[in-house]
Amino acid sequence: MADRRRVNGPVGATIPPVFEDEEVQTQETQRVTRSRAPNGIRKMYLKTGVTPSASGSAYLEIETSGKDGVSGLKLSCTVHGPRSLPRSSPFSPHIILSTHVKFAPFATKQRRGYLRDPSERDLGTHLEAALRGAIIADRWPKSGVDIIISIIEGDQDRETSGAQGDDTWDMMNALSGCITVASAALADAGIDCVDTVAGGVAALVKDGGETGTARIVIDPISSEHESIEAACCIAYLPTRDEITNLWFKGDMPDHDMGIYSELVQQGIQASKLANRVLVESLGETVK
Amino acid sequence: MASTQHVLLSPAELAYLHEALSLTPPIRPDGRAPMQFRPLVAETEILPGTNGSARICFADGTEAIVGVKAEVERTRGYHGDEQEEGGEEEEEGGEERREGEREGQGEWVELTVEIPGYRDDDAGTAFLAAMLSEALLADGRFAKKLWISRRFHWKLFLDILLISPPLSYPLPLLSLTTHLALLSTRLPRLKSEGDEDPFFDDDWAAAPYLYPQGTTTTRPPITLLVMAVGRNIIFDPSKEELAVADVVLAVSVGEAATNSASTKGKGKAIGGMDIDSAAAQPGRSLRLLSVRTVDPPSRVTPPGMPNATNSAYGVAVSVQKQPEARTVEAQAVEGVWKAPRGGAKPAVMAALVQKVLERGGVADEVLDALEAVELG
Repeated sequence: MADRRRVNGPVGATIPPVFEDEEVQTQETQRVTRSRAPNGIRKMYLKTGVTPSASGSAYLEIETSGKDGVSGLKLSCTVHGPRSLPRSSPFSPHIILSTHVKFAPFATKQRRGYLRDPSERDLGTHLEAALRGAIIADRWPKSGVDIIISIIEGDQDRETSGAQGDDTWDMMNALSGCITVASAALADAGIDCVDTVAGGVAALVKDGGETGTARIVIDPISSEHESIEAACCIAYLPTRDEITNLWFKGDMPDHDMGIYSELVQQGIQASKLANRVLVESLGETVK
Repeated sequence: MASTQHVLLSPAELAYLHEALSLTPPIRPDGRAPMQFRPLVAETEILPGTNGSARICFADGTEAIVGVKAEVERTRGYHGDEQEEGGEEEEEGGEERREGEREGQGEWVELTVEIPGYRDDDAGTAFLAAMLSEALLADGRFAKKLWISRRFHWKLFLDILLISPPLSYPLPLLSLTTHLALLSTRLPRLKSEGDEDPFFDDDWAAAPYLYPQGTTTTRPPITLLVMAVGRNIIFDPSKEELAVADVVLAVSVGEAATNSASTKGKGKAIGGMDIDSAAAQPGRSLRLLSVRTVDPPSRVTPPGMPNATNSAYGVAVSVQKQPEARTVEAQAVEGVWKAPRGGAKPAVMAALVQKVLERGGVADEVLDALEAVELG
């Protein structure tokens, strides 16, 4: 799957060097812990209409957790269309959505290639499911719309090069950002939706070592917690009280179903908070 | 995408099907009960060149084979490893301690799905592969089984092949086949000790199973497809049923270990007690590993047109400019199919998950059936 048309970087993964300094011994104790309330999301900046050539576009930035070296999430979304389908394609009574999510090669610790890898395709499918529920698809027969999201900076802690397994949880944060920004871009493009859909993440985290108790937080950052037991990402339509996409991952015994439903509830809550930012930003554009 | 492949049903047929499925009890086109699975034929260890393999054939003619292959791979070192190693050397905690420090990584498992007629980089195929591997790795115990020593591990390749055309959404089929293939997987017995270069017994008969047989320890997860139409919950939907679904969920469940890995060494009292408490209730206790919404193909089905606005029935249509726009805004008419809009209520989604996890429910039945398949 090597891309032969471009000059690619080295084949093997490279890990950025981490230099030891005097703080290295106390790194464990200096771990940044969550300072926000468990039911608060990070501040975000959302602006629509940033790409003039696209019919709709939006840019989303989520603040860093206040620690140097931790990058926030930066997403840019462009919507092209609705435009007519090519002549060769069969008749479609609905608008055909195609979503395209791509991490920039430099967005994460591990370099991403130019071709989309399976995890990015997977994100695209999730995003498609989330948006298809929101769009009123039958108002545009025989047409298609392309939604392209580039993740300019992923939400990763640069200092913990040894940290592993947090990628999978970061994907949920990325997806929730993608849903919110795509919804803003769709509104900017003037495509009719039943409601603005926004993404939210809730997670069951465990702090304080072996004895620590698990608690539910929204908008989790994996580097701020010792371990994440389960997480769920939700795309929610607030006025209709409907979920268009639900993605839960974790390990939950069947007698803990209360925790599962609480997790979903908190995910909805996170999505509502993100939706407020979205609505406000769209309101500003209209003025 | 595999789930949204076009179903050649007219709006009238869709409306009829939707109505039949929303009745209590629902009437399914193939006459099954709402919780009934399609009958299946299964066999294991069909491929001699693999560490484990399985084949399942559903009654509707879809068939899948899975081959599991394993390779020894060197574990990549990370910063901070040296420090930890120093500490371990001092404490000689014996075998139990070793168990605890085993750590698996998700990248030790590579799962690929191939579906005829679809490109291997198709989004739907990537979605299927991600869903299956996510369920497998969710509890973190699976990757631990692949640990050999501090420097080496097994890398497991799971190759999933659908060998029939995708007549229905192949997720449950692929998941069940993978489950069986993993159950039949054996890895050569390790002869070397500690951190030496790994050296294996060449007697295949002595190779232990990846999932030890005849114990109550964990078994691989299964992923079930479940959908809701109106107030009904329907398991293992066929392609036609999916075309009228309100919401479709893929739910991965695993069996809750009655004596989990952590309590393995600590006497039998705990294990025995757990078995007793589990035996008090019928069915096995399950763990929820992952839930994903699958984009229901019903959203791209063609809408019907009520007679009241249909000019073919003698209605004088004055505005001819955008006939589609008008039909869309028309109120829902009974018996006229309209593609669902919006999402699903949180309560409906919760009910779907609850139904899957029900003791003695479908997941139980499927696990029982798979247990009955003899290995080898």
